[in-house]
Parts: sequence; structure tokens; C-alpha cells
Amino acid sequence: MALLALAHFMYQMVGATIFQMLEKEAEDHNHFQLEKLHFLANCTCLDGLHMERFVQVIRDSSKVGLSLKGNQTMDSFWKFTSSAVFAATVVTTIGYGNMSPSTTAGQIFCVFFALFGIPLNMVVLNRVGKYMLAIERNACDFIQGKTNHRKLTRFMIHLLSYLSGTALFFVMPMVVFKQQEGWSYSQAIYYCFISLSTIGFGDYVADSNPDKYYPEWYSILMASWIFFGLAWLALVINHTGEILERLNTHLKHWWSPEEPSNAGPVDEVKEPPVDG
Amino acid sequence: MSSWYKSWILLTGFILFYVAYLLFGAFVFSTIERPVEDKLKRDIQVLKEEFLNQSCVNATSLENFLERVLQANKYGVSILPNSSASSNWDLASSLFFANTLVTTVGYGHTTPLSDTGKAFSIFYALLGVPFTMLVLTACVQRLMHLVTYGPISMFRQKIGLDPLAATAVHFAILLLVVVLGFFVVPAVVFSYIEDTWSFLDAIYFCFITLCTIGLGDYVPGEKPGQNFRSLYKISVMVYLFVGLMMMYLVLRAFHRMADLHGLTSFFQLPHCDEDIEEDREPIIEAGHEDQHEVEASAKPLDPASQTSYNTINR
Repeated sequence: MALLALAHFMYQMVGATIFQMLEKEAEDHNHFQLEKLHFLANCTCLDGLHMERFVQVIRDSSKVGLSLKGNQTMDSFWKFTSSAVFAATVVTTIGYGNMSPSTTAGQIFCVFFALFGIPLNMVVLNRVGKYMLAIERNACDFIQGKTNHRKLTRFMIHLLSYLSGTALFFVMPMVVFKQQEGWSYSQAIYYCFISLSTIGFGDYVADSNPDKYYPEWYSILMASWIFFGLAWLALVINHTGEILERLNTHLKHWWSPEEPSNAGPVDEVKEPPVDG
Repeated sequence: MSSWYKSWILLTGFILFYVAYLLFGAFVFSTIERPVEDKLKRDIQVLKEEFLNQSCVNATSLENFLERVLQANKYGVSILPNSSASSNWDLASSLFFANTLVTTVGYGHTTPLSDTGKAFSIFYALLGVPFTMLVLTACVQRLMHLVTYGPISMFRQKIGLDPLAATAVHFAILLLVVVLGFFVVPAVVFSYIEDTWSFLDAIYFCFITLCTIGLGDYVPGEKPGQNFRSLYKISVMVYLFVGLMMMYLVLRAFHRMADLHGLTSFFQLPHCDEDIEEDREPIIEAGHEDQHEVEASAKPLDPASQTSYNTINR
């Protein structure tokens, strides 16, 4: 137990050092300072203090998601459809942060909304995942009835479902995002991963670029992608758990074959009846 | 009506309710936030025009400047004078970042800028997120015995409450302790250390963090010239980890309580897994207490009996 906790901490330390190595160079304060001085030098009527204040305002407004660029005919961030997307990101715990409630009332409502929404979300996703699993099991049984290779069909079905899931929830969205958002393939797949794992940094967010024109089906597609993608991910995690458990019992069998009682109760648990 | 049919209807009902819940939230957020945003937009426009009028800057070079500044802001780099001292990627901050990645909180106040950094984050999280879930569940499993079984049997024996009441009382006390210890007290500490945060802001921050939503509108330790910045960030990490553990614990305790009270059967929700392997009511049988504790803690970590993060139970 203590070993596990220590390993976890070491894992984070290793990650930290690697991130530091990678990112320190990319973060270039000096570059921006030079730009700022260049800008000031070009405009002699501008004094530093006035500009600092201006930049502070830009900063604060960008924190609540406003952009100062261009003409302000862009849509409000808090129109109904984007508020729905925000509600969805709260309830799935993705939490991009490109929009966040700035009023106290909004924040309080957000807390209570999440308090009930997150368990609701977990329950719904769990059920949907279970149904996806049931479909897969039925397909498995159906094919097993036709052929005699039990283990092989099971393996093939699992593989097929993993691959189709990856294609459906990672590869296809990657292509769509590249086309609609203008990101590169690597940025798109980075975005897919960060969203579906519910990490949700918010450095890339689909459907929120004010300069781009999106088709009408785009937000609905995004919402269903997130919903089913999360359900599929829950399924995969459960599956992996099942597989690990089977591996565990196999190893135990192999390790101490003269104790068959160990495998007994676990075998009964292995395939709990799916609530029909 | 066959039970298969019934469960499909129940699922549809759940989904419809879920969608309605989201729409309701959307409506409320929109109504609250939009007027404030519109006002801010107008103020900003006015400011921009004033700025342009007063200075010799022409519109295009201003646009370019703004574009660069906003882009830098997105990555946490500011060109304001006093914030250039501390880096976003020194060891403590990188550790903090790795932690937010692995617990799926993901504030986004700093994000990997380089392509290698992004690729590394994907693989790091691929391994790290399940690893974190494993560690959390292992801790919670052991804590459950300490925090749940002991007190409940004590309630039963010493006070003589019946099982249902004992679990309900125990859960209420647990909830109270967790809310006080992990929301109120840290909020007080945060609002004291961070001068721009009010107490309400701090509680909002604690909640958004411990639910792993992690919007990133409030992030501790970001103000320039923060004293003991590394120590502060590391203690926030510890708070995050322990807090997550307690949330898991509360969720688990609630699930078992709901099980006992028959709520899970009513909504056809999954039961707690451990009931399949142990007695139906493990936390009630005072006589079997020790045996269960020994068995449960000697059991190798069964993935099947864990709550993985985004499913309650299989």
C-alpha cells in the first residue's frame, strides 16, 4: 500500500521533471518583452503606464472569455447553445474553462448544478456503457453459436469493438476537427484525448472560435461525440478491469494450481448478469 | 411488462431527464451571465476606442499587438512587469501540472506549448489516470473499514439504533465532517492567502477542484510575488489528493447506504460489488466484523470491486 503511494508520487515527480525540460524553452518571456518594447518604441505618444493598464484589462476580459480583436459583432458566449455546452462540460467534469461564470450567483448556481448533475451523469453514462456491453455480449454469443472457436471469437469481438471505438471516437473526430477548426492532426487528436479523459484543459475547444463559421449540425455532433465517447471510455475501463481480473486468476491458477478454491468465488463474480 | 422492456423505458427516462437537466442549466446560466457579459463587452469597446483616439497607434498594429498578447495569455505568459519573474514551468509548477493532469482536474492555466509536450501529456495521462484511480481506490478501500464499519457497529451496539438509522446517522456525520474539513476550512485558508479571492470564491474553487471539473478561473499560487510558492503549490496538491479520496469515500458510503435502504433497487441502479462476495449486509453483522476486515484487507486488489472513476459500479 505504501509502496503504491510512493510509486504514484515518484510517477508525478518524473512527469514534472520531464515537463519542465520540455516546456521551459518554449515559454519565452523575453520574446514577448522585446515585442512589447518594440511596440512602445514605435508609438512615442504611448506611455508605459497607460499601456500596462490596458493590458491588464485585456487580460481580465480574456479570462472571462472575451476577445478584444476585431469588431464586436461576434455572438455572445452565453447564448443558449453555448450555455448548454458549458452545462455539459460541468456535468461531465471536463471543465474547459474557456467560459466560466463570473457573477457570484452564477458561481453558486454552478456548484449546486454540479452537485446533482455529476452523479446523474455518472449513472446515465454507466447505464449506456452497460448497454453497449450487452450488445457486444449478444453479438459474441450469436457468433459463438455459429462457430466452435469460443476463445477466438471472444477475442476477435473484443478487438473489433476496441478498434471500432477508437476509430469512431478518435480518428473520425480528428478528421472532422481538422476540417472544421483548422487544427493540425496532432492538435486535433490531442484535443480528443484531453476532452474524453475529462481533463479538459481548454487550450483547444471545439465550436468556440469566433472567426470560424460552423454548420448547424456541428454542436449536436460535438455533444453526441462527448456523450458516447465518455460512455465508451467507461466501457473500456470496465473491460480492462475484467481482463485484468481474468489475468489475475489465470496467474493465481498457474502460480498455485493446488488451491482451486481461490478461483471459486471470483469465477462467479466474473460475469455478473447484466440487468435485463 | 417484461423486465427487459421496463429497463429500456427506465433508461430512456434517465436520458430524457438528463437532457432536460442540461437544458435547464443552460437556460439559467444564460440568463444570469449574459447581461454581465454584454456590459463588459460594451465597456471594453469604449476603452479600446478611447485608447485609439488618445494614442498614435493605428488600428492594425493594435490588432496585431492584441493578438499576440491574447495568445500569450492563453499559455499563461503575461507581459506585465512583475509577472515575468516566476516561470510557469519550474519544478513545483510542473509537479502541480502533472498532478492536475493525472487527477483529470485539468485547470488549463498552463498547458504544454511544444508539440513534444503535448504528445508526452497524452501518453503520461494514458498511464497516469488509471494509476491514480487505482491508488485512490486502494486508499479508500482501506479507509472504509476505519471510517465506516467501525463507527456503524459502534452505533449499533452502544446506542442501539437499528441498521438503517445507524447508516443514515453515520453518513450524515461523515458528510458534515468532510464538508467542514475539506471545503470550509480550506476555503478560509485560501481566502486568507489569496488576496483577490473572497470566501465564496474560495469555496467555489474547492468545489470545482474536488469534483475534478477544474475550470481554471481560480488557480491558487498564481499571483506574482507569492511567498513560499513551491511549498504552497505542493500543499495544494496534497489537499487535492486527500480531498479526492474523501469525495470517493463519501460517494462509496452513500452508495452502500442507498443499497441498504433499497434506493438502488428502486431506480435499478447497480449494487455495490462487495455484496456479492461478502454477506448481504457486511456493515451490520457485528459478530462477523473481524473476519470481514481480515478477508477484505487481505484480498488482492480486485479490479472488479473497484469504483472506477466514471462509473459507479459494474
